[in-house]
Amino acid sequence: MGSLLTGVAILIRGHRQLLILIVPIAIFAVVTQLVGGTLLGRIAIAFFINLMVVLSLQIFTGNSGLLSFAHVGFMGIGAYVSAVLTMTPEAKAFAIPDLYPALVPVTLPFIPAVLIGGLVAAVVAAVVTFPIMRLREAASVISTFALLVIIQVILAHWHELTNGPRSLFGLQPYTDLPTAALWGVIFIVVAWVFRHSSIGLRLRASQDSEPAALTIGVNVVRLRWIAFIVSAFIAGFAGGLWAHFVTTFSPRAFYLIETFVAVTMLIVGGPRTVSGAVIGTVIVTAAFQGLRTIENQINLERLLPFQVVGVTEILLAVVLIVVLTVRPGGLIEEREIFSGPGGPLGPDADSAAKAPP
Amino acid sequence: MGLRALDNVSLELAQGEILGLIGPNGSGKTTLINVISGLLAPTAGRARVDGTVVTGKPAHVSARAGIARTFQSVRLFKALTARENVEVAALAAGVRRVEAKRRADELLGEFGLARWHNVLAGALPYGLERSLEMARAIATGATFLLLDEPAAGLDESEGDALLALLAGIPATRGCGILVIDHDMRLIMRLCRRLHVLAHGQTISEGTADEVRRDPRVIEAYLGSAGAAA
Repeated sequence: MGSLLTGVAILIRGHRQLLILIVPIAIFAVVTQLVGGTLLGRIAIAFFINLMVVLSLQIFTGNSGLLSFAHVGFMGIGAYVSAVLTMTPEAKAFAIPDLYPALVPVTLPFIPAVLIGGLVAAVVAAVVTFPIMRLREAASVISTFALLVIIQVILAHWHELTNGPRSLFGLQPYTDLPTAALWGVIFIVVAWVFRHSSIGLRLRASQDSEPAALTIGVNVVRLRWIAFIVSAFIAGFAGGLWAHFVTTFSPRAFYLIETFVAVTMLIVGGPRTVSGAVIGTVIVTAAFQGLRTIENQINLERLLPFQVVGVTEILLAVVLIVVLTVRPGGLIEEREIFSGPGGPLGPDADSAAKAPP
Repeated sequence: MGLRALDNVSLELAQGEILGLIGPNGSGKTTLINVISGLLAPTAGRARVDGTVVTGKPAHVSARAGIARTFQSVRLFKALTARENVEVAALAAGVRRVEAKRRADELLGEFGLARWHNVLAGALPYGLERSLEMARAIATGATFLLLDEPAAGLDESEGDALLALLAGIPATRGCGILVIDHDMRLIMRLCRRLHVLAHGQTISEGTADEVRRDPRVIEAYLGSAGAAA
């Protein structure tokens, strides 16, 4: 127990930036909960769920250097699994008429169901991703995209579990702001610890030079696989929270636009750092909401002689392109936020630190 | 079958020894190191460490068996700090975190990099990159080091400092070192024994003096580059 406390103390002392990331977000959540209206509350919940998806992407992509388009698919797996587990038999009879009879009477509490959703996503990831972990660059990205398509098609046709391509409805709105915020913060810590862990460090090494990492003994394929499994769990968990936030959804909710938004958040902020993932999510959420409001306002007031549709997505895509062109590492590149300048120490430091002859 | 980059090459390296691997450009020196370190799988033949075969397996297996290397074109982990570059090598060898950090600090001191410990490797001055790469290789606790042109691009004083460091490694760490270099001054001062490749084949092996007088060596160098060793 004592050593655990010492460990936590060391972690906090060595990672003050983690607090700098968490505190403002926690304050935002508390203030919104206390004085924010329903709309702001819903935006905040959506923000925290997006944050979890982006953090899950960061854990894999940020450490391994391999972009994944598949994570929103794992989010879908978590959403459907948890939905089937929390719904009452009566609700299931309406919403998923073809559901396997064995699953009809199963009704679990909310968080256990969400956890199982995450676990199922992780197990699926463990089974299907090992072969593609040895790919790199374009081949790797394309194969994760293929995986997204496969998950999408399965979700849309597995009538006995998902009600097929039609909407699934009748979930209870269990996901409130405190729950979403708490888990968002927990996953910030998880992503931070993972990045700084021995696995994270070895993966980041392999990202810079795979041959060099191999020749110091890093089992690159296995570590990528572990990172993918951890990140699929978080994506699946986020999917469970999201399902019990929107309460009605179809497989289409876990496809291209959502993948695009999550990837944009990560890349704009900077995939290599947890700070980047958090800040990217904040900025893109703010921009998205702001642009949406303006777009709706323009349409509502008929400020233009035609209806404006999709300007928000187009502008986000432009932002993504601009960031990739101007600052390809994202806003927070290699070092976490507030890490200090990291220059060389004074010349006398060498003799001071040198081991005695 | 394409070109045989290596054909019938056989060499032995003992712990505590520095063996020089020389030969004209394209003679297969780097290919040989790539094979031994597991980055290339040979179509035939094998490399053993203490009787354990390391060829034809994933490259990290060679490292675990005790082989570490540097690269002709330095390959550092650019987004990691100098200290993390060394620390991660100890971690990959199965050393615990605290011990890995301690070993990293010690090696950074030894290689004159202590004041750069918190600098990202990608921002290091060129002359220090090779030192860091070598410290990283040593941090794995390897019994055999394969150094691919460790002095390339260094000026004379940097080269001399490196030479002094290298020469001490077998005694202090008990490693065997295989070193490739075109700088004959460095090779002659560092190695008692030399192995010479040309066109992927061994053409000579022996002491520096024996090799220097070997007519096949003279011909290989004159015939290809026109510059005698």
